[in-house]
Amino acid sequence: MDNFSPKSWNQKSKPHFFCPGCGHAIALKQLGYAIDDLAIQQKTTIGIDIGCSLLVWDFFNIDTVQTHHGRTTPVMVGYKIAKPQRIALAYTGDGGAYAIGLQSLVHAAFRNNPVTVIVVNNENYAMTGGQLSPTTETGIKTTTSPSGKDLKFGPGFKGPELLHQIANEKSFIARGSISNPVQLKNLLIKAIKNQTDNNSFSFIEILSICPTNWKTDAEQSFERLKEMEKYYPIGEIK
Amino acid sequence: MKSKTAKIILAGEGGQGVQTIAKILSTTAADEGFEVSYIPSFGVEQRGSPSIAFLTISQGAICYPRFDKADLAVILQERAIFNVARYIVPETTVIFDSSTVSFDAVRAKRKFGIPATKLASENLALKSLNVLMVGALSRLLDLPAEKTWQTIVSVLSKKFKTEEIKERNHQIFLLGKDFELKEGNFTEATFVPQHGPIKTGGEGKEAIIAPDHCKSCGICIIKCPFGALSFGKKLGLLSSPIPEVDFKKCTACDTCSRFCPDGAIKIKKIIK
Repeated sequence: MDNFSPKSWNQKSKPHFFCPGCGHAIALKQLGYAIDDLAIQQKTTIGIDIGCSLLVWDFFNIDTVQTHHGRTTPVMVGYKIAKPQRIALAYTGDGGAYAIGLQSLVHAAFRNNPVTVIVVNNENYAMTGGQLSPTTETGIKTTTSPSGKDLKFGPGFKGPELLHQIANEKSFIARGSISNPVQLKNLLIKAIKNQTDNNSFSFIEILSICPTNWKTDAEQSFERLKEMEKYYPIGEIK
Repeated sequence: MKSKTAKIILAGEGGQGVQTIAKILSTTAADEGFEVSYIPSFGVEQRGSPSIAFLTISQGAICYPRFDKADLAVILQERAIFNVARYIVPETTVIFDSSTVSFDAVRAKRKFGIPATKLASENLALKSLNVLMVGALSRLLDLPAEKTWQTIVSVLSKKFKTEEIKERNHQIFLLGKDFELKEGNFTEATFVPQHGPIKTGGEGKEAIIAPDHCKSCGICIIKCPFGALSFGKKLGLLSSPIPEVDFKKCTACDTCSRFCPDGAIKIKKIIK
């Protein structure tokens, strides 16, 4: 099975448990390639959140920490303080990062803690059946907004822009998308390097798809992702 | 219904329609005046993991919805046997999909095969498997056919977008209802997923596709810039078709491999 997938993937846990066509797996593939390219498999630890992101616990041949919901970032901040030689990645979903875990994330960015936070944004709470999340755009139908998201619940939440306002100037904040995997991989490499070389905070939001809860096929999913990219601009936020 | 109580366990994979079958049967039985309990059981994953339904239909009151011994076990996927084996006792009647489950894999005294996947995909589409199974089970449980069909229409009304789809589903339902369940040898499981890497080649290129990993999401097909990929006849992990490569169009650009969420496809140039 060589050359099929990143070397850092744990082949014993494959086929993985993500749904067919899940954007998480595409994002994790690029993360795997980034880890392969930097040759940091032996010195990385990934903290994982509750939600679909918890399926990462045996995805890589890398140590993982299962944390409480939304507390991935502070746990990895503490881990990094205890073991400064290790590389700490926090892998969460949009609910864990922007809803329940926002204050932890904001303060980690504010203090410029040297961790890399990776947020996969698929615009809903996917594991529990596709409920409304802060990042859902106005007018999008979910199971808890059957007539489309009302503006009184706020428009789509722009996390990287928010963090950019308070984060240290050394920090690296960007948004990638699974529709452009090569760019995404390069952003991930930059983010991890910002942690190791600059000893600073780095944050990446990855726009992703959820065919199961969006009730779309492959083509419609990527069409909707294109619409998302218009609202959430891709690239480094400066 | 002939017996006083029927304890039914339905097992399959997420996405096959196990919970839909259970919902239709329980709704119909409840409308007919039976006492019904239905407990779905599935994992955190929404698709591709074992999906089990515990269904009790009784003429009297049901004291407790769980049971240890099933009267009827319905197995729609070979991987699901592991999950229901402990509920199967010598008295249990087992109905299995003989086009995906091999006869020898089912350990029971009374077992009947119905080539559901084959019949459904030949007559309409693989998705209509659940309608076919409802037809077969409604006859077995002595539920009135017309009432059952009405329940199917009300439960699946969103899926029946046109009258034609509805009519063809009715045909599938009747096909399942009229299927004679006979004791016999159903060793030929024709719709089994492939195993091991499939290597194909041509025009100086070589493609390796892993059916053990492919979940038929179709991302490689829509992302191919040259339209070289399409669904073929071979089946992958979830008993759904896996892609085939047209080597005349393919340029071995590696886009499919870059996108594939499961790491199931790789196309490379043969360097001489």
